[in-house]
Amino acid sequence: MKYLVTTFLLATFCMNNTAYATAKAAHEIFLKDHSPAKNKKIAHELIDGQFYFSAIPFINNYLEENSVIDAELEADIETLVVKTGTMAVLNLDEKKLESFSIPSISLILGTRLFNKEQYEKAYGVLSRIPETHKFSIESNLIKGTIKNLQRKQIEASTLYESCAKKAEQLESAASGDKLKRYYTYLRETCLIREARVKIEDKKFEEALEIYEQIDKRSYKWPYILMDKAWAHYYLKDYNRAIGLTTTYKSPLLESYFFPEAEVLTALSYYNLCLWDDALKVVDHFYDIYQPKADALKDILGQNKKSDTYFLDLYYADPKTRENLNPFIRNLITQTRKQVKFNLDLASLKAAKDELALIKKLKNKNDFITQLEGNLDSTILFISSKINYYIKKEIFTFINEIHKHSYSMFNLKLELLSQKRNELYNAKLDQKNDRNRGEETNVKRKANQYFFDFNGSFWADELGDYSFGLKSQCTDNTKIEK
Amino acid sequence: MKILIILLMAISTNTFAEEKKNTIYKYKEYEVIDLGSMEVKGQIIAPGDLTVNERERKVFKRSLLEKNNFDFENRREIENLR
Repeated sequence: MKYLVTTFLLATFCMNNTAYATAKAAHEIFLKDHSPAKNKKIAHELIDGQFYFSAIPFINNYLEENSVIDAELEADIETLVVKTGTMAVLNLDEKKLESFSIPSISLILGTRLFNKEQYEKAYGVLSRIPETHKFSIESNLIKGTIKNLQRKQIEASTLYESCAKKAEQLESAASGDKLKRYYTYLRETCLIREARVKIEDKKFEEALEIYEQIDKRSYKWPYILMDKAWAHYYLKDYNRAIGLTTTYKSPLLESYFFPEAEVLTALSYYNLCLWDDALKVVDHFYDIYQPKADALKDILGQNKKSDTYFLDLYYADPKTRENLNPFIRNLITQTRKQVKFNLDLASLKAAKDELALIKKLKNKNDFITQLEGNLDSTILFISSKINYYIKKEIFTFINEIHKHSYSMFNLKLELLSQKRNELYNAKLDQKNDRNRGEETNVKRKANQYFFDFNGSFWADELGDYSFGLKSQCTDNTKIEK
Repeated sequence: MKILIILLMAISTNTFAEEKKNTIYKYKEYEVIDLGSMEVKGQIIAPGDLTVNERERKVFKRSLLEKNNFDFENRREIENLR
């Protein structure tokens, strides 16, 4: 124990010492150097001392005035991109960024252009990143998405494949756990994309085989349940589609809610000609999601001008959170699982730590005061960025509910029409008890498990449920596709 | 001159009046048409049976949700990348 404490104190002392030394070196350059490379040198010293956020304005100022990037600066920018994300060249406009062709800047610019829907330009910029570079994984993922959106499926598949392959290589070579996890995330994202292209091409069986490669413990796994459910739906295995969407009702997945899952469940019942079951799902959708949408609209309306409200919700103590609508609590939990949110949150913490470290430095001078001022603005910027992100997530979710309400409305009309036809044809009422499913109605492959559902969810069973309902469709009942 | 013109006009009006009196129109007073002896050539084309062919009732298709692509999810994933 003593040894541990001594090591910790020594490490802290060394860190503070290095920080002090690099801050001092940067200050000297700040005072004495008058060459055009002054900002670049200051940034280099600061990056050396792990003052990443403090280095950002100096790098930006240098790039604003110069158009040459040497090997040392390229390495510094790459370090900044890894440590601070897109913040590294935040103040530079797209025209300026276009003049640099180093991989880190190309990745940031390509992403920025993609988000502005300038796909052709983004593709060109991202193509500058060499295939051997570590950023080629993300670059191929975005390029694949562009080709996918343009319905150039073969090119999209090839790009996704090389993305997954490269991510796998770096995943096994990664030293730190965090980095390993990030490459795993990228590899799985690219695999899922390959499967989605297969679904779009109506190769459902092939898609399902690809999804099998995603581990159940993976961060991405809850999201692929929806994709798999669609694949089974189009394979007319409606029982398994319902089984997959029902998995979201498990307590383990309570923070994952997809309005689309409800629509797909109702559609599956509809295709089994189980009108009453489908109608129940439709009504349940309106009962559950309408109040949720209203609660979200209220919270958005009341705090739309605040730059901190949603971030404060994240940081709120358990008691305050308990008073929130459980649905909003779950939505915040779901947002916390997004990579971007976590990266931004990590950036915010790192920037705050950096400010604390700078405040501890002795010998205050103009340079240190300037660093403190810059960091204050950076912290404010990241906070409002995260706040905006949560707000946007909530807004997107409300839109999703509205979109699917429309689908549900159409489905309800269709269901009522089918029920009316049945009344005309004097068909007997549907059998509606809970024990009506039979194992004979379950389509199952050799590698698929079968579990009896006895009223409780078990973690190892999740994702393998299938209903065993018999289709009530007769020759007279036509479900046109 | 005036008197001459008036005289000429009086003479011409007199001549027209005489001509009108001489026109006699005569119409046929009686005509018999024997329909039975008339022969009409042609074919009977009127339908022998008045029925309407049975057709299926038009079913209006409502647009139910289809998943043709994953554009929404894919775009969001990239937005959430960095």
